Amino acid sequence: MKTSKTSQKNGALQRGFRIGKLGFGLVGSYLGYQAQNLLLSESGKAQRRARFQKKASQRVSGELGSLKGAAMKLGQLLSMQSGVFPQETLREFAALQMHAPGMHATLARAQFKASMGKFPEDVFREFDPEPFAAASLGQVHRALTRKGEKVAVKIQYPAIRSAIENDFKVFRSATFAPQLTGHLPTAAIDEVQRGVMEETDYVNEAKNLKYFREQFEDIEWVTVPRVYEELSSDRTLTMSFVEGRTLGSFLETKPSQQMRDLVGARLAELFEIQTCRLKVLHADQHPGNYLFRPDGSIGMIDFGCVKRFDVDWRELRQFYEEWGWRKNEAAARRFLKIICGPKAPYEKARKILPDVEEWLELFHPRGSGDLFFGRKREPGLERKMQAAWNRCLRRVFQNKWINPEYTFLSRADVGLRFLLEQLGAVVNLSEIARRVEAGQKTSKAITS
Amino acid sequence: MKQGRRVQKKEKTKQAILKAALGLFAAKGFYATTTKAISKKARIAEGTLFNYFETKEDLALYFFEEELSGVMEWHRANRRLKNADIAEKLFAIIQHLLERLEPYEEFIGAVYMRALTPTSKLSPFSFESQDRHLRYLRFIREILLQAEADGEIPPVGDFGAYAFGLFQLAILTHWLRDQSRGKEQTLALLDRCLKMATHFLRNGGWNW
Repeated sequence: MKTSKTSQKNGALQRGFRIGKLGFGLVGSYLGYQAQNLLLSESGKAQRRARFQKKASQRVSGELGSLKGAAMKLGQLLSMQSGVFPQETLREFAALQMHAPGMHATLARAQFKASMGKFPEDVFREFDPEPFAAASLGQVHRALTRKGEKVAVKIQYPAIRSAIENDFKVFRSATFAPQLTGHLPTAAIDEVQRGVMEETDYVNEAKNLKYFREQFEDIEWVTVPRVYEELSSDRTLTMSFVEGRTLGSFLETKPSQQMRDLVGARLAELFEIQTCRLKVLHADQHPGNYLFRPDGSIGMIDFGCVKRFDVDWRELRQFYEEWGWRKNEAAARRFLKIICGPKAPYEKARKILPDVEEWLELFHPRGSGDLFFGRKREPGLERKMQAAWNRCLRRVFQNKWINPEYTFLSRADVGLRFLLEQLGAVVNLSEIARRVEAGQKTSKAITS
Repeated sequence: MKQGRRVQKKEKTKQAILKAALGLFAAKGFYATTTKAISKKARIAEGTLFNYFETKEDLALYFFEEELSGVMEWHRANRRLKNADIAEKLFAIIQHLLERLEPYEEFIGAVYMRALTPTSKLSPFSFESQDRHLRYLRFIREILLQAEADGEIPPVGDFGAYAFGLFQLAILTHWLRDQSRGKEQTLALLDRCLKMATHFLRNGGWNW
């Protein structure tokens, strides 16, 4: 036993050193950045921030590129928590997740045996040794069942669970200082760790798949894969094969504006059903989790990270639509409670309202009716919106008030907006929300 | 022709003895199994058994020789691996060996302890195991030479094959002690070590 532990420790030590180096590097830079902010003028601050963002993104993507799952999630956490990463970096994290370093055919076959007790060729009629897609914690292979059904077999990288546990231990030690000051809440790290550990359990993902398959049963334009339980375990997941193109490849087919709007509306509708009706969200709203087909139908994949929540997203959206906090003090208190949590003192929390309004002014000016996405396309608008939003988040985090469910939902909302933006869709979000509220099933083509 | 048949028959008897011995080792353990019990199960006289194997250690040596020959044959016949990169080829060799050894884990654990005794025939430094070692090292050397010729790694000389031999022993030790399900810790360790080693070799040879 001694030998085994020693070898594991060596592996953990190497990973730990890399993550520790990254953690210390970023934390050090962040503290240095905050300290210099006290001494710099506004223009100096902006220059300094740009330099810090550039250096930090380079360091994060460089270090994380060669590590697996947990480190990527930690990167995402850092980006969300500090609010100091530019949009490009957020995109990079999404890309990292899609292009995780893979297992070669021999390792994938051996790992299948380790998890299922048999080699793939013993249980499938055909099994493609080369993966066709990468997942954050493993990779996906094409196969044919004995009955001739096309399936996707997701295989987890070996021993990823213990590697993740080690990564978190080291990350917690490395980020002791910001945890102590409250800038990186321990509860937020706990939440991410819980989520990542849940993602390593494919039995849990199979349950999520079943749940969403049942919920979306009546919607003919969405496909959720079926799980083959007898060919699955906690580290291997066999699902029916979902046809479709990734977003990039779909856009290469040059879909019409009407098609883009239809697909965008459907994505928004799926989001709306999950946030308002089910209160369960397929958490990673990144392009890699959707497949698109020429008729505008959508395939949903990767249900590892699913979260249940209590925040009333409908109420929050209404606040945005109507600038509801301006109605009276009670409304403002209610709005800030949703964002900052019940413990935030009102007098201090209301200081974020100008930042929220600055952001909303760019996105949805007061009194402009329905909430649209993509109707306004000005050069640099997205950048301005991101800057305003980052200021808002930073103020919230610097003051250590945050409702974790709100952080989660806004991350998912940002993800959806990235998707719609990349799609180039124009979507009437208010109309979709009304339709979902009224219990109408389908999403017809909606144009501005 | 007659002599060829005799050799064949001899090999068949050796195989029958090994099969009987492995069954008993698995059931009773290496130390508790007597040569009498082995000969009884193999349906031969105990004296005949000694004509083939003087001791249980000789039997174990024969077992390893058979397994390593099996790995070499399997590797040479595997067409897909011919186009794989060096990290995967080396991974496949150790992984296939472990796959073959899997049913005899307990027996190997016992033999492993015995092999640590310097006077044992099973010791990696014993005269009896040299021939097997050299054959195996030459086989690894061939693979490394091919990778050198393809420009995958810089020249590593004989040292590369020796280093791999030691690495394989370390992995075998880890595998014997690995309590994880499906021994996935060993798979991860093997994969990471080989990827790291080939990465270092590609990016600076021995100068890193």
